[in-house]
Amino acid sequence: MMTFKFIHGLVFLALMAGVFASGPSVAAPGDVENGEKIYMKRCVWCHGEEGEGDGPAGDLLVPPPRDFTSGLYKIKTSPFDEDFPNDDDIFRMISDGMPGTDMPAWKDILKNEQDRWDLVAYLKAFAELEEEPGTMVDYGAPVATSVESIAKGQKLFHDGERCSECHGQDGKGDGIKKLKGDNGERTWPRNLTKPWTFRASNDTKDIFTRISTGIPGTQMPSFANPKSKTMLSVEERWHVANYVNSLAKTDKTVRAVNTVVKANRIEGDVPSDPDDPAWDTAELTTFMMVPQIFEKERVFTYTNDTITVSAFYNDKEIAMLLEWDDRTRSIPGDPNIDKIADKVPYEDRVSVQLPVTIPEGTQKPYFINGDTENPVNLLSWRSGTATSPESVSVANATGSENIEERDAANFGLMAKSAYKDGTWRVVMKRPLSTENAQGDLQLVEGRFIPIAFANWDGSNSESGTKHSRTTWYWLLLKPANSAKPYILALIVAGIIFGGLLWWAKAARRNGEV
Amino acid sequence: MKIPRLLQAILVLAGVYGGFVLVFDVILEQVIPSSLLNMYMFFVVAGTYMVFTFNEESTEEIVAPIKALVEDPSKKMMRNVVFLVVPLFFGWFTFQQMKPSFEAPLELRTIHPAPPSAVKVYGKRYNLLTLENPFRKFEKEDPEKFAELVRQGGAVYIKNCQYCHGDKLDGKGPYAQGLNPVPLNFQDIGTIAQLQEAYLFWRITTGGPGLPKEATPWLSAMPVWENFLSEDEVWKVILFLYDYTGYSPRSWEHE
Repeated sequence: MMTFKFIHGLVFLALMAGVFASGPSVAAPGDVENGEKIYMKRCVWCHGEEGEGDGPAGDLLVPPPRDFTSGLYKIKTSPFDEDFPNDDDIFRMISDGMPGTDMPAWKDILKNEQDRWDLVAYLKAFAELEEEPGTMVDYGAPVATSVESIAKGQKLFHDGERCSECHGQDGKGDGIKKLKGDNGERTWPRNLTKPWTFRASNDTKDIFTRISTGIPGTQMPSFANPKSKTMLSVEERWHVANYVNSLAKTDKTVRAVNTVVKANRIEGDVPSDPDDPAWDTAELTTFMMVPQIFEKERVFTYTNDTITVSAFYNDKEIAMLLEWDDRTRSIPGDPNIDKIADKVPYEDRVSVQLPVTIPEGTQKPYFINGDTENPVNLLSWRSGTATSPESVSVANATGSENIEERDAANFGLMAKSAYKDGTWRVVMKRPLSTENAQGDLQLVEGRFIPIAFANWDGSNSESGTKHSRTTWYWLLLKPANSAKPYILALIVAGIIFGGLLWWAKAARRNGEV
Repeated sequence: MKIPRLLQAILVLAGVYGGFVLVFDVILEQVIPSSLLNMYMFFVVAGTYMVFTFNEESTEEIVAPIKALVEDPSKKMMRNVVFLVVPLFFGWFTFQQMKPSFEAPLELRTIHPAPPSAVKVYGKRYNLLTLENPFRKFEKEDPEKFAELVRQGGAVYIKNCQYCHGDKLDGKGPYAQGLNPVPLNFQDIGTIAQLQEAYLFWRITTGGPGLPKEATPWLSAMPVWENFLSEDEVWKVILFLYDYTGYSPRSWEHE
């Protein structure tokens, strides 16, 4: 163990040394003219002709495209007291893009590095930036991640609500402080458990850099600033970076190969409470959600990009646990929610969409609320208002304009929710079979059943067609283990063994003759 | 040294199998579904069998070592091993086939289905065999006007299409990952470069729901753009797609 740690530490140090020794490179001076040519073909659409972030798509994108005339860049490695970035920083954003935004990585199209340097020169010209700062955040002696370091980081994260004030108790960006960007727009702190939304990356070094230099144009401050009460030493910042890096919810990330919600069979009652310990043993499947931009009315700004599903079933019922991060518990009329949300016009909501009949062939209902020939069941839960408790509803739909509400109690749908530290956990329970076999999906063990999910964030003014959703995936009620495959395997092996013996015997007899 | 025929056949099969896995799973990083691989391998095995048993002589060469194994008393040890391994292999194979599969069913779909001869949108009927982009002529007649039309098409694209098809037109927009089938990659030589502008007009205006059944219209997230864009906007965005990628649309004239 000791040796492993030692080697691990050595490798880490060697890597870090390599990274840091490079420092800000002396960039080849960019050709502004060539940069302009590329800019007008590739960048102008979002960032605008004058570089003010006001291209045709400018006001549809969240976060908005960068306004280059300010010279401020969110992701930079220059120290906190330098307003402007190093050339390398701009080069990196162009090359690698920014995850969680519309900015793609350009290095596969602009293969020639010089082209990207020329763009850097052109972008700098918008703000008349000349010399780069040429200095970097002081990285000191990097602290490799370890249980001790993470524990220290966790303490610093919560001390005096240093980070948790905005990023929340569990780092899900659900702190109650309302944040604004420099242009007055509402901004939300990063959900630190979703590393795929980190604009640079969730490498410890990148996290360290953000903590040290802050994020210009936002309320994310520098924790290297000696004037600040919340200042951290270099070593402390490495601890916090290690802690933040450890927050990634690796069990709730989207894996493209996982397209099936696998319900395990259990004896006795299915868990109907989200806090039932039985859920700890469930198989989790996480799906990506996208805003509903396919039918009228569309929504372009959405707040939640994933939903995690698990399920159990018995002879009679299925219980499904739906989990998603939501910074706001949208209860219209609840005075507590006003502390974080700007307005709460609607309840939060989640829907499970199932076809009314399990398709025999490949044809399924249209993935958004079915179609005239192929209806769907919509099973929904709503968070409730200040005057009414949480509720469930059942509807049948043959397209978004034909959604017919039904009696949920008669259907047998039940739900129970829990909201804690920026996460909704909702258990939905329904009988496997219902009385209305024509109008309701009857769940069958061992069949692949199409399933889709939709989610509404009421505080983001989402209701009706304005929501985020998944495409069709699968629900499988996993059959209990059976002995059949073993028996068949034995029979086949036996027959072949017998056949071979018979062949050998026959051959020997022939030989004797 | 001559490799025995039987070994040759086995090497061919192993080579092809390894090749599939190498090309799809490793190089293209597109894990090949086992049912598809089984289907391919069935044909490969059948083909190899036919080639290696083409005439009596080669059949004899293949069969001889097997026969010797069973009949030659001096190969007793080898025989015992083979007689144990072969039934075990088939038993294991049966178990693998029979055990309940939790792998999602494979869904095949046609990516470029044959277009209908005519399409009805904007309250009009368009003959797709003769339909042309009304703005295409300006490419030669009035390059300045053409550039302006492309620019307008780009604005339409960035406001409506990039979310899925991407800023780079590579089918990797911010929401692409959440969709199945994935959005089309226009930079790929196999997409718009092989199609006529009329085909694109059909695909854009009628969207996913306008696809024929073999192309799974219930899965495609392509909106019905007739509901969002004007006819002119559709033609302009088509100009933009070709201009940005540097491809030319196919036309009847060139063929």
